[in-house]
Amino acid sequence: MNVPPAILHLVVARPGRRSVRLWLPLFLLWPLALALGVLALPVAIVADVVLLLLGRRYYHYTILLARIFALFGETRGMDIRINNENETFNLTLY
Amino acid sequence: MSEDRSRILSLLAAGKITADEAERLLDALDTGAAAAAGPAGPAFTGDPSPLVAALPKYLYVQVNGSTGDNVHLKIPLALVRSGLKLTSLIPAQAMDQINKSMSEHGMSIDFTNLKPEDIDELIESLREMEINVDGKDGDVVRVYCA
Repeated sequence: MNVPPAILHLVVARPGRRSVRLWLPLFLLWPLALALGVLALPVAIVADVVLLLLGRRYYHYTILLARIFALFGETRGMDIRINNENETFNLTLY
Repeated sequence: MSEDRSRILSLLAAGKITADEAERLLDALDTGAAAAAGPAGPAFTGDPSPLVAALPKYLYVQVNGSTGDNVHLKIPLALVRSGLKLTSLIPAQAMDQINKSMSEHGMSIDFTNLKPEDIDELIESLREMEINVDGKDGDVVRVYCA
């Protein structure tokens, strides 16, 4: 797993209008995401144990939670650039 | 030189076996010795970091439309891998809804049939894949990994 993206760079530009250039410090959200993960983890574990004891086929919420966090971690380096004559949209995760 | 090897060579020298037979016996001897030494280790014993660094890390999708619409995507391959692996953990009911919604939008891919080994193979294939499409009306689509 990679380090989650620290900065999101967003550019939205339209001719004749003021362009929007944002550097969003995602690293400030890391503690919040960590806190949410820590809170959600026991809930997922309890849910999995209950589902397992009930004999349900699906009891993978804990792994699902971990994989979702890993997925966000892998988004670092993603770059989306869409532009035409009227609009430019760039989104980059550093 | 081992005892078996010298025995084979002496049989060859005595003319009791042909050169081809001796070669086959020596090969069998080498194979047996390698198998007895245990599982084969990695063929590359140096620092693997330059080789790892040379592997493609991103999937690029570039669409240059003739009307001036351009889309350039750079997606980490690790994200593709994680995303595909995540599909195996999505509850069946939710997966059915996802598949149904995708088929309604023209993408009839059933992710429930994807196995982990298929995903690894798919990612490895992506690394060597390159798609270049030049449309009649000037649209250009490129998909590649780098």
